[in-house]
Amino acid sequence: MKRLSFGRPVLLLGLTVALLVVGEVVLPGFVGLGQIANQLKIASFLGLFGLCQTIVIAAGGQGLDLSVGAVATLGGILGAGLMAGSDVMTPLGAVVAVGAGLGVGFLNGMGIAVLGVPPLVTTLALSSVVDGGLIVGVSLVHPADSASPALVALAGRGVAGVPSVALLWAAVAVVAIWLLSRSAWGRRLCRTGANPVTARLSGTDTVRVRVIAYMLSGGVAALGGFLLTGYVGQAFLGLGNAYVLTSIVVAAIGGVTLAGGKAPYGSVACAAILMTVLVSLLTAINMGESGRQIIFGLTLLVFLMIDRRLAA
Amino acid sequence: MMRTLRHAGIIPSVLMLVVVLALNARLQPHFFGLPSVEDNIATFTPTILICLAQAVIVLSRELDLSVGAGVSLINCFLATVPSAAVGGPWGLMGLGVLLALALGAVNGVIVTVFGLPSLIATFATGAVWYGLALALMPQPGGQIDEAVGDIYSDAVFGLPVPLLIVVAAMLLWTILGRHRLGRRIVAVGSNPVAAYQAGIGVAGVKFSAYLVGWLLVGLGAVSISAQTLSGDAGVGTAYTLTSVAAVVIGGISLAGGRGTPWGALIGALVLGVVTNVIYFAGIPSIWQEFFKGLVIVAALGFMVLEQRRTAIA
Repeated sequence: MKRLSFGRPVLLLGLTVALLVVGEVVLPGFVGLGQIANQLKIASFLGLFGLCQTIVIAAGGQGLDLSVGAVATLGGILGAGLMAGSDVMTPLGAVVAVGAGLGVGFLNGMGIAVLGVPPLVTTLALSSVVDGGLIVGVSLVHPADSASPALVALAGRGVAGVPSVALLWAAVAVVAIWLLSRSAWGRRLCRTGANPVTARLSGTDTVRVRVIAYMLSGGVAALGGFLLTGYVGQAFLGLGNAYVLTSIVVAAIGGVTLAGGKAPYGSVACAAILMTVLVSLLTAINMGESGRQIIFGLTLLVFLMIDRRLAA
Repeated sequence: MMRTLRHAGIIPSVLMLVVVLALNARLQPHFFGLPSVEDNIATFTPTILICLAQAVIVLSRELDLSVGAGVSLINCFLATVPSAAVGGPWGLMGLGVLLALALGAVNGVIVTVFGLPSLIATFATGAVWYGLALALMPQPGGQIDEAVGDIYSDAVFGLPVPLLIVVAAMLLWTILGRHRLGRRIVAVGSNPVAAYQAGIGVAGVKFSAYLVGWLLVGLGAVSISAQTLSGDAGVGTAYTLTSVAAVVIGGISLAGGRGTPWGALIGALVLGVVTNVIYFAGIPSIWQEFFKGLVIVAALGFMVLEQRRTAIA
């Protein structure tokens, strides 16, 4: 068990290196400092969204957050609208965006933990409300949609060649690994996911743990959407949609099992890097959206089967 | 009558249906007139079929998040195959249903033979189906034989074909429910361990549930294609949420083993009629998505609270 949890990141990073080698052979120049920095940037966003799924899947009860895409879009549009291109207002935009994400996450958590509606249904239904609300809001208010120069710099540029968004992700990852694998709350989360009945009997407020898990997921997703606005330059409807599938893929490849109770964010982060390199390789060899979807689905299936074998 | 309904747990869903029907009747001119009824049935048929499909699979304590993408793939497939090459419109429709059965078999094998959790495994196969649909039809377009549309909008003995398809599907399920397979699906869904100990081949039963479900998905996809007569990789996307929501609204437990086809039918009708209401109420188009989402949330909340109330009482 212990060996496995260390083996996984090594396996994933090994695969990443293998893909980089293949890329360099097929397309000389695929591996360069600028290229790697750019991929780290993209991996940071994927890693943030993967964190959302890691937390809620670990909370168990068939946990899943299908609203990360809608919440990311919400965070991006709210943040961009508030800062209206000004650096001074950027922190306010970030705070409001994350706050809105926490709010949607709270609603998700209440529906799931208090009312007992399955996570799949709750998060899908709420995400359609958020998406619908955004269509209304954007068409009525016409909010400003461009990112401020400071946010563009944060999400797009770097410090001494290292992209600053990757540094930010690294900081989030360190906190997340501590929170999920070392802290008392992380133990309560995993206990709740593994067996809610025994967790409750041994004094864990499982409802509260689950509500907080979905709030964290919403907050991180909104932060991801806000940063994404800086990376792309502007916020738009559908900004976060692509991350619904991919965030679940990296969580599953990272070894988070749907049964709950496991939150190995270190390997999820490695999975985010692996999938980013895979996608950029596929894009570099001119594979379209259809091919990427197919390969994403198949990769997810293969890793699910490997995990199944290992568990048996 | 009341007792059977209460036993099936669909009283709240029936209430909801009555409310939305009343609203619709007020808003849509000549709602009970024959042309309106025919129109509405043709529109609701795919939704009903796909919701029934999800319900069969849910009854066996599994789930299928790839139905929407599967509908898209079948639709794009039908739009790329010339019907003359496969023996006319009937051949084309048969091919669509066969493709659906193949997709269902793949999902069934992945869930039963490989033992992967259906929630995430069908999420993965859904990505594959969607990718394949996009590969066939990168942009919406193509042309499906108009004869397919003619068959769909035809009438037999004065009854519109879509209505007959729904009746056939309900009949299929009623027969299923009275025979061994139907009982086994419910047994496996309510307690797989007990079913196994009673000598039921759990894997085989679940696999059959996927096949029956995808037979219905195939019929639904063919119905959609008969209405649009063109291919679009995005055509099925919304059906995944709709089918799961309809199952929950219809009082079918996602934990398996509890529920009736009538519940799924009512759930599908509630969601279909609501779309109608939103359209005929003259709500500006930018508000429609938002309202649809709100109604689904409200309906789910109502169902959950009702079930909780009756459970306590």
